[in-house]
Amino acid sequence: MQDTLRLYGYSFSSRILLGSARYESPMLLVEAINAAGPAMVTVALRRQIQGGLQAGQAFWEVLRATNRALLPNTAGCYTVKEAVNTALMAREVFETDLLKLEVIGDDQNLQPDPFALVEAATELVKQGFRVLPYCTDDFVLCRRLLDAGCEVLMPWAAPIGTGQGPRNPKALRELRDRLPDVPLIVDAGLGLPSHACQVMEWGFDGVLVNTAVSRSIEPVRMATAFANATRAGRLGYLAGPIPVQDLATASTPEIGKPFWGEASQSAAKVTA
Amino acid sequence: MSLTVNGQEAQMPDPPTLEHLLAILHLRRPYAVARNEELVQRSEYQQCNLMDGDRIEIVHPSAGG
Repeated sequence: MQDTLRLYGYSFSSRILLGSARYESPMLLVEAINAAGPAMVTVALRRQIQGGLQAGQAFWEVLRATNRALLPNTAGCYTVKEAVNTALMAREVFETDLLKLEVIGDDQNLQPDPFALVEAATELVKQGFRVLPYCTDDFVLCRRLLDAGCEVLMPWAAPIGTGQGPRNPKALRELRDRLPDVPLIVDAGLGLPSHACQVMEWGFDGVLVNTAVSRSIEPVRMATAFANATRAGRLGYLAGPIPVQDLATASTPEIGKPFWGEASQSAAKVTA
Repeated sequence: MSLTVNGQEAQMPDPPTLEHLLAILHLRRPYAVARNEELVQRSEYQQCNLMDGDRIEIVHPSAGG
């Protein structure tokens, strides 16, 4: 059965998005991309640093050779103006109007600034961008971002790079329930494949991971693990989990059980 | 004329255009350029006359999360 992720009219067969930062080498990044098979790979813009490993020509050449769709970010922007200017430059360089919009409000936990985020999103949608905002799990913020014209939201699981996994499961699940038709991608804070699997089981449309893969001991193996976990969680969601119950329900049929009515039943009652 | 290019002072003969500056810098593609925090589109490099004190920012693709 075909299960397609649709973001702004683009269709993807994968539900994992992979960040390109913090790999030991460009080659390792490419191997991780091949292992994860991501829908998109996030990228950034920086000044050219002489001899810089990740900012170098090798990075761009090998990344381009993977033919993956790219999702430029506005990482490190703290104001609306910075974010808008960075977005315009990203569109010029990467020739895409897709944008992961980041406007950071606190340099300790890299939490999105909700007010500046809505303002920047409003402006960028007007300028023709297809904005995927990195946001918190605050429902009203998410609604304001939708009002601003965002068609996809990317709520955090936890602060960037922490690997904590979903810090506020109730808020995330509520968001999922309240916005059933909006593509929601959990971005930031995932550390383990089980975290990805968990949010996918909850019905999220995708996950975006970077540090959890790139800073693991074996990034290529971890990329595979995240891809499999994301798929597993998605399948679990689609399959429709059973409701959780307080009391046990025997899975093995009672009918035809040997020694029926003998000591085993009364023993169970005594010990129960 | 004195310019700031990626945060560093640079001297240029005047009157140069942005296209001249980019030619001197031998940049690898792709890149994008902002002048005084405003994007200058590729098609505008030739007509973009630089002014004393302009702040030029040039960015390239980079790793990002």
